[in-house]
Amino acid sequence: MASKLHVQDNSVVERRLRPIYEWLDSGNNKKALQECDKVLKKTPNLLCAKALKALSILRMGRESECMSILDSLIEDGSGDDATLQAMTLCYRELQQQEQICTLYENAVKIDPVNEEFHTQLFMSYVRIGDFKLQQQSALNLYKLKPKNPYYCWAVMSVVQQATRGSGEFDSSKRNVLLSLAERMIDKLISENKLEAEQEVQLYLMILELQNKFEDALQVLNGPLAEKIVCMCSSANFYKLPYLTKLRKWSDINLICKGILIESMDRWDIWKKYIISVFELMKVNVNEHPEENHTNGESDLEYIDDTPEKAHEFICRLVENGDDNGYLRGPYLARFELCSKLILHGIDSNDLLGDTMQLFIEYFRKFGHKSCCVSDLRIYLYLLDGERRIELANRLIKDVGISSTSVPQSEQQMQRHLCSLQLSRLCSNHRNLSSDHLAALVTAFSLHYQHGYQTYGLNLLFTDQGPSDPYAILAAHILYDLAELTQSSKPIITALVLLDNLLKNSPCCFNAKLLSIRLFHTIGAGIGAHQMYDILDIKHLQMDSLGYSHCARLPTTGLLTLTATLLDSTLKFFSSNYKDSSDHLTFCYKYGSFIKLDDFMDFREKLNNSFHYTMVAVDRIILNIVQCVSIDSLYNTNILPKDNNIEWEKLRDNHDLSVYISWDPERIEGVAEDSQEIKNLFTQNVQFLKLRTHILWSLSASINIIKSHESTKNSCIDTLKGVVKDWADIYYKISSTKSVPIKQNLVTLPLPSRLHSHLNCRYFEILGQLFNLFVNIAVEDTTNCSTIVTDVENNFKCLTNEVVEGVEQQNQSSDCYWKRRSVLETVVNAVEIISLSATICLLCNDLAKPPQNKKSKKKVDATTKCVLNNLASVIKNELNTVDSCLESWTLPDKFDLSDRLALLNLSANGQNSVLDNIVNSHTTAVKELRTLLKAKLKTLSG
Amino acid sequence: MTTLRPFTCNDMYKFNNVNLDPLTETYGLSFYMQYLAHWPEYFQVAESPSGEIMGYIMGKAEGHGENWHGHVTALTVSPEYRRLGVAATLMNFLEDVSEKKRAYFVDLFVRVSNKVAINMYTNLGYIVYRTVLEYYSGDPDEDAYDMRKACSRDVKQKSVIPLKNPVRPEDVE
Repeated sequence: MASKLHVQDNSVVERRLRPIYEWLDSGNNKKALQECDKVLKKTPNLLCAKALKALSILRMGRESECMSILDSLIEDGSGDDATLQAMTLCYRELQQQEQICTLYENAVKIDPVNEEFHTQLFMSYVRIGDFKLQQQSALNLYKLKPKNPYYCWAVMSVVQQATRGSGEFDSSKRNVLLSLAERMIDKLISENKLEAEQEVQLYLMILELQNKFEDALQVLNGPLAEKIVCMCSSANFYKLPYLTKLRKWSDINLICKGILIESMDRWDIWKKYIISVFELMKVNVNEHPEENHTNGESDLEYIDDTPEKAHEFICRLVENGDDNGYLRGPYLARFELCSKLILHGIDSNDLLGDTMQLFIEYFRKFGHKSCCVSDLRIYLYLLDGERRIELANRLIKDVGISSTSVPQSEQQMQRHLCSLQLSRLCSNHRNLSSDHLAALVTAFSLHYQHGYQTYGLNLLFTDQGPSDPYAILAAHILYDLAELTQSSKPIITALVLLDNLLKNSPCCFNAKLLSIRLFHTIGAGIGAHQMYDILDIKHLQMDSLGYSHCARLPTTGLLTLTATLLDSTLKFFSSNYKDSSDHLTFCYKYGSFIKLDDFMDFREKLNNSFHYTMVAVDRIILNIVQCVSIDSLYNTNILPKDNNIEWEKLRDNHDLSVYISWDPERIEGVAEDSQEIKNLFTQNVQFLKLRTHILWSLSASINIIKSHESTKNSCIDTLKGVVKDWADIYYKISSTKSVPIKQNLVTLPLPSRLHSHLNCRYFEILGQLFNLFVNIAVEDTTNCSTIVTDVENNFKCLTNEVVEGVEQQNQSSDCYWKRRSVLETVVNAVEIISLSATICLLCNDLAKPPQNKKSKKKVDATTKCVLNNLASVIKNELNTVDSCLESWTLPDKFDLSDRLALLNLSANGQNSVLDNIVNSHTTAVKELRTLLKAKLKTLSG
Repeated sequence: MTTLRPFTCNDMYKFNNVNLDPLTETYGLSFYMQYLAHWPEYFQVAESPSGEIMGYIMGKAEGHGENWHGHVTALTVSPEYRRLGVAATLMNFLEDVSEKKRAYFVDLFVRVSNKVAINMYTNLGYIVYRTVLEYYSGDPDEDAYDMRKACSRDVKQKSVIPLKNPVRPEDVE
């Protein structure tokens, strides 16, 4: 009926609805709702207005009202396109993707020839990833409108069944499905209907998945290749992957030579070329030498099948190439050749001379480019430890800057920086005395200032300062110094140095990243937060970089700041979760089937981000910790990610490569692949699991209180089960005795929170309290007092640790070095106290007789006594921690001006950094004490 | 020294060394996903021998009739890899693709203050076709140059006759 109405006065309806869309677009949901009501007064049966009303209400946070409007719309039956789209938006935002399928399944039943509805139905299946239904609906669509894209949607849906559906773990099914997909395309080809580039790409993909590389090559050699627009001139390039699979090394060799003669800076081609040379050499040794390499006229008439020929080819390119000063290809190709010679056990000296000489020559040619360091880094492994040191010394000598001179040009400065960075990579800064390290810091700091004064003054706000790397290098060495002397002074000096650097080069992101790390090293959350703020992290960077801050801020006691940070991070993840299924539909919409796999992997990577899950859990726990009334607890969802965490799939998405590093470890590879980082991830996941058990237990306890008599027992069993699982994994994890990751590299993260968590007896205290809860629930009070005594003993150990830690801090001459770990313990203790208070209140609620019963049964006397005891135990510990916090002060005197004077830095910088650290401390202490007071009040209430 | 390859979703996890630079905008995910899905051939990464992202280019093809053209949406190179010809390599690639798509010209927008970029585009054969007033929002808003280079299909070079008067952003298609 409504669709008729829509047809009749389309323009009137449109005019009426337009303001609603505009309000919705501008985010003014209240106005949108008012407008909806206005329109509905005039035309009460306008379904689209109803649907938009549902959307407005939903966006105002009134989920259940929205749902009831949606339900009534479904009862009404048919709707026009606009109505369905508005409903789709609602379901999308409610994360009820399946409902969208139902919506359009009904729509096509009512209007079976509507192409748009069929398309939407197909897309709704894409969103939920039902490949089989995708295939069916695409074929239905194709029957209705025989267009190629629809046919290919069906084909791709078959491919997805093979790779991600029923064929994923069943190779025979996979084969059947893929050969079906191939035949489907063959049919198009035989009917001469294959037209678009995307269709050919789909065909190639299907052939690749079946390892039919010969067939794929034939496609590229045949008439279909012309349809691939972007490949006409470089078809050879696209053949390389297939030729490699087929091990056709002669072809590869010639194709690569052809491409390299054209553009000698193509690194992927150089690598492939050199691989082919060695493969051909193997063939030659094993069989008879081929005849085609006698004196060919030009390069493309013979293959290079020996290292000698490869070397000649490289040299010819160097000689013939127009040397514009930055084509590094052939020069680096010599390193690649050298590395392969060594790999094959062939002496590289005969052909290429001394390997070290290769480095020196490369440095002489490209040392004035900052990329020289990362170019050479990948081949430093060719030299052993001693030779690396020798290289470092020779490079520094080559630049010619002594301890008493400064660079005479910007180029010389860049060469100097490059030699210093390589020198650090070559372990030249390892095993130095603290005096020596301090001297390096002084030298680099002065070089930084000289470089800034000479080459860095008239730069744009957005430019990187040319001498910035000196300061970064100095900050790295200061961290080494801090580790070596176990002192916080070098860390604070580094922060002052970086603060000064950022005043000159406000966009030096390396300085900001480093400052975040250094502030967190001494537990100074506010400084870290300011740096994080000016890094201006956006969108996906919340996942790739957010860990650097979110993993530590919750341990600093800055509760308000933490809540804000966690909220903004979660906002990104949850809104993205809603969008990410739409991205998959883009691929179908534009026919970019080659991207679909990539999109799906990406979606999984993002949704299974460890960081996302950790932030979600932290946010809920913080909520509970700060919760002032127990009633509000009953109304909040305390299960993270809708209790849908796929533990096995959790991923570490933290980008560590963004931290510039010249540590020798970097030669081995990226930090992400190091054992330390893998250990850290394991520890983090263990920590997250333990922490999630707190939430599961709380949730199960609340369910018991909410439950009726009939379901109560099963709810109690659930809680028992959760606590039992918690115990199991707790004992398993604590028995592994994992050690915190090493802290010798400033570019690696701080240790996992797992260690402090285990140390602080979370399970011993909270787990026991949940046992107490179970006992009260089953009205068995025999063990209750024992449990409370046990809790009290564990609490005593915890608060003792807090008191001792803070006392040591107050007496220490270096109050910052261990501040982070003491603070983490304190914050954990406050968290445990707050959670204990919450559980204690839950116990009270549980013990309370139901209000509606006439019999005024009182709380069992023993239970009452036990709970009173418990409350006083918690209050006691709370007071201990509170007075401990009150006594925790930072010294007025912490002077670095001597050190700073050596670096030519003013004491003002010191003050701003120190003020920042002190500010963090006082704010944290204040916030924690306020929280404790609030808890005391609820416990006494 | 460059490995040119198509941009993948995972590169968004690895492009921080490029995107933390103040002149490079980090967009919402959907923006990148739209480009990847719609114009995958126009979205390319330049990778260094050590596997880092040196820079990337993002573009599209659009317009009707003689306005059918390639557009550079974003071009960026990490500070560490500047002055190595990376940007030129990426631009050449995009121009190649546009040629093969039979585009009439390639165009791009650049902040009028970004002298380095304007200079580079000029060296690559681009001319200032027109000024777009207050195209970049900020404090204050900044004008953009709409720069163009003709493709071989535009034999008479009609697409690169500069306009005399500046235009408003709403007049730009």
